[in-house]
Amino acid sequence: MAKTVLITDDTAFMRMTLRNVIEKNGYSVVGEAGDGEEAIALYKELTPDMVTMDITMPKMDGISAIKEIMKVDPQAKIIVCSAMGQKPMVIEALSAGAKDFLVKPFDAERVVESLRKIGS
Amino acid sequence: MRDTKLDFLKELANIGTGHATTALSQMLSGRLFQLVVPDAQMLPFDKAADYVGGSEQVIVGIFVVVSGDVRGHMAFLLPLDSALVLVRLLTGDDSGEVHELARSALQELGNIMITSYLNALAKMTDLLMAPSVPGVAVDMAGAVWQSVLAGAEVANEVTVIRTEFFADGESIEGHILFLPDDDDFGKIAHSLGLEEM
Repeated sequence: MAKTVLITDDTAFMRMTLRNVIEKNGYSVVGEAGDGEEAIALYKELTPDMVTMDITMPKMDGISAIKEIMKVDPQAKIIVCSAMGQKPMVIEALSAGAKDFLVKPFDAERVVESLRKIGS
Repeated sequence: MRDTKLDFLKELANIGTGHATTALSQMLSGRLFQLVVPDAQMLPFDKAADYVGGSEQVIVGIFVVVSGDVRGHMAFLLPLDSALVLVRLLTGDDSGEVHELARSALQELGNIMITSYLNALAKMTDLLMAPSVPGVAVDMAGAVWQSVLAGAEVANEVTVIRTEFFADGESIEGHILFLPDDDDFGKIAHSLGLEEM
């Protein structure tokens, strides 16, 4: 069965771009969240195999969402996809529990490579 | 003093805009090229709106508030025509209107450009510059300026960086506005080993 992915990004355009890449490569997108709060709720509801997480979002940012999801499920596999690639932010995301950090704009291969590595 | 500050801003603009353009080009699968070296100008506030297209012209503005070690405001402004070319390249939508998906694509594009610019400066200075969730405004230039600069410490002059791109046979014009708060401008200069400006 295809591994399931929850996409988190505040822009519909980026969610659509990620969905295309992810689905084309044999994964199943089970949900889309537009902010950190939605990501936590959908994670609990859908228990996806992996999550893509934006950082800068309204209501609740990605770092806070990673921390909350890791509390719910310490085995959660979260890949950050954010334009904000500055060192302190990368370190904070990884220490919160993210397994990988992709800086936007990313190419499709880099996303797939990360899904393969993290999902295995 | 003013010339030194302007030179310094031009240099920052070169580096930041170079990174932002590379990011934008990647988003457009390499179909975009920078046409001219970015040009920085310091303009009185009331002249700045004219410079980006006249206060009556409809433009698109994507803007953020910057926090962290350096605080300030930043925006990417472009004429509606140019924005519509980018929307077409990104989404395939050639309706000539800014629909919901087009707005979202422009928000993401602006976010990636602005953040790439800040990432480059952050790397050089070792200072954190975190952008907020971007706002998007499609309106007359005068009105967009008001949104962009809401809450900014604008004394007299603003620095505007003009860039010109070429994508898919069409020229795209854009303006990048970086407005660090006065105190934090000194921090950037200092971290690069320059005397106080």
